[in-house]
Amino acid sequence: MHAFTKKVTMAVAVALPLTLALGACSAGGGGGGGGAGGDENTLTVWAWDPTFNINALEEAEKVYQEENPDFTLDIVETPWEDLEPKLTTLAQSSQYGELPDIFLMQNNAFQKNGINYPDLFTEIDTDAVDFSQFPEAVTAYSTVDGVNYGVPFDNGTAIQALRTDVLEEAGYTIDDFTDITWDEFITKAEDVLAKTGMPLLSGQAGSADTIMMILQSAGASLFDEDGNPTIDDNPALDEAIDIYTRLVDSGVFVEVNSWDEYLGTFVNGSVAGTINGIWIVGSIQGDEDQAGNWAVTNLPRAEGIDGATQFSANGGSSWVVSSNANVDLATDFLAKTFAGSNELYDTILPTSGAVANWIPAGESTVYAEPNEFFGGQPIFADVVAFGAEVPSNNTGAYYYEGRDAVSAAVTQIIGGADLKTALGEAQANVEFAME
Amino acid sequence: MTTTAPPSERTSRRAAPPRGNRTPSDRPWLSGARRRSLTGWGFLLPAALLIMVMSFIPMIQAFVLSLQTGRGANFNFADPLWSNYTRLLDDEIFKLTLQNTFIYLLIQVPIMLIVALVLASVLNSKNLKFKSFWRTAIFLPCAVSLVAYSLVFRTIFANDGFVNDLLLGLSLIDAPINWLGSPETARFVIILGLLWRWTGYNMVFYLAALQNIDHSTIEAAKVDGANALKTFWYVTVPQLKPMILLTAIMSTNGTLQLFDESWALTRGGPAYQTMSMSHYLFEVSFLKNPNFGYASALSYVILILVAILAFIQLKVGDKRD
Repeated sequence: MHAFTKKVTMAVAVALPLTLALGACSAGGGGGGGGAGGDENTLTVWAWDPTFNINALEEAEKVYQEENPDFTLDIVETPWEDLEPKLTTLAQSSQYGELPDIFLMQNNAFQKNGINYPDLFTEIDTDAVDFSQFPEAVTAYSTVDGVNYGVPFDNGTAIQALRTDVLEEAGYTIDDFTDITWDEFITKAEDVLAKTGMPLLSGQAGSADTIMMILQSAGASLFDEDGNPTIDDNPALDEAIDIYTRLVDSGVFVEVNSWDEYLGTFVNGSVAGTINGIWIVGSIQGDEDQAGNWAVTNLPRAEGIDGATQFSANGGSSWVVSSNANVDLATDFLAKTFAGSNELYDTILPTSGAVANWIPAGESTVYAEPNEFFGGQPIFADVVAFGAEVPSNNTGAYYYEGRDAVSAAVTQIIGGADLKTALGEAQANVEFAME
Repeated sequence: MTTTAPPSERTSRRAAPPRGNRTPSDRPWLSGARRRSLTGWGFLLPAALLIMVMSFIPMIQAFVLSLQTGRGANFNFADPLWSNYTRLLDDEIFKLTLQNTFIYLLIQVPIMLIVALVLASVLNSKNLKFKSFWRTAIFLPCAVSLVAYSLVFRTIFANDGFVNDLLLGLSLIDAPINWLGSPETARFVIILGLLWRWTGYNMVFYLAALQNIDHSTIEAAKVDGANALKTFWYVTVPQLKPMILLTAIMSTNGTLQLFDESWALTRGGPAYQTMSMSHYLFEVSFLKNPNFGYASALSYVILILVAILAFIQLKVGDKRD
């Protein structure tokens, strides 16, 4: 009997922790995730940025609830850096049941994910969403083989924002920087730097954003239509890198090492302007003392390149209806809000600076309202007008490889390497990665 | 018939069935030694199963994956089979990350272990005041959240950060150093971060080992007329050999697999100049166009490197015994 009780005790002592652990594991797995299809009238959404995208989602929920009072939106905040590996992991392990109804995706990542993991997406019903109401350049990002997989959301149209008080000190106005070439820009900016000591631009070292914007403004890309890399034999890219090098060498463009430092340069007033997507406006308004001293205009153009324009874009994202979605409800929700509601865009514009890609939204009066911070300029109406003129570019499935290879090449060129050699290396690296 | 027979005998007598064939030892199968052995296996079994399923089987699957090519989820066996591995030899970025990781290994690990050893022997002395404060303070960095310390280091070493202000204020430099912008200084910042973080961890190991050293050996050395340095080098260190070997292997393993600092401090640094092998693996798998076969091959190369270095260290460590 004594031995038996001991045995039982031992057995229980071994089995109990094991059972508890297994129980905890399975409970944890079921609870987390945020998979779709809980309730007939609920949609689950994965998106990032509480002040921007998630704010827009909450307003969209209210708009949709006017017609469907029982509707609820379950928003799960997921930063893009977490969202992308999550999508890759789910698709790689075929766990499509864990996907939400809708998720947000960066425009540059569409081709890569659409080609590699088509099973993540549901085709957007073109009867429900009228894609002609969005600029073609933007819908092109989320179109794979002629099929639309994304409803465009935030506008990445690029702007040139400058401090008018600094320009005035040097004897210029914002018009002197409108519709100009890059050569003219560099001359005038060096003058401003000499007279006021303030550079006009800044950016992260090792980030190719500025060069990508110049490239896109000239209608060129890192890849051709067939998806082959066009890095080393690309006159537009050579010109863009040349412009960038001249900007940095002359001191007009200040390179910093992190995103926060970049934002700090114009918020703290050490740099008198920036060129980036319209979404940078939220950060520019970070220092209230600078109110009234900013203005927005279009970008300089790259002279000497065919197809050079004053317009470009950086960033932007689109909504995806996942393959695990309540398709009818999700499509209807997107169609009635982000692809059909002036009221929504009017609400989110002043609160978060979310500029629509949806063309009818730009016609509303809210967009034409003068903006105090920018000296009374109706910047949003201007930006929507810019947006219609942005040339499209080819991203392809290897966009990030190309962009990072160019970033590495530019870092070497700034450090003194020869342009042709560095770009040749970049081309070789991208071709290698594409094998 | 005894009433105080040991339990094993009692149960074995009860369990002895009438059988035609008997085992040579003339005792039933579940005898004392075997039963103890089986009980031991019984306790090990759940953990062994878990490790098999969670670690070993995925490792085998990863090896199979490293022999396959294909983007996304479309895999085919590579032709030739080792093409992912031979591809690594042509990958310029991989060679750069290999070089970076070895730079970290060769510079950081020896400095860290020596400093940890010195600190441990200092903290082990009888006369030091506030010993537990010092020990806690030196150990604390490794308990700090990785992301938090990376952000702080990034801010400290920014162009207008604390370190530049300090150096400018002391007139040691004329212009701010772009710490994270040029390869050498960026690597230096990573090595500094690693030293700051892991010295305390290794120091604790050495402290524990030092406590176990027989004080009579030190006294004998003192009696023989050795000064502190000679005592340390000829008496203490040889007795710490197993612990030094352990920390060396652990540090090598950890540094070869370095990811956190490369990701959080410099994001691979200016143009891949501070990227470590594991960071490159992550990029290939999740950030670029996913190529999981290639990434698995990369992970196996890291494994092979760690195994080789550990083997060398074991051989060197054992020889002197």
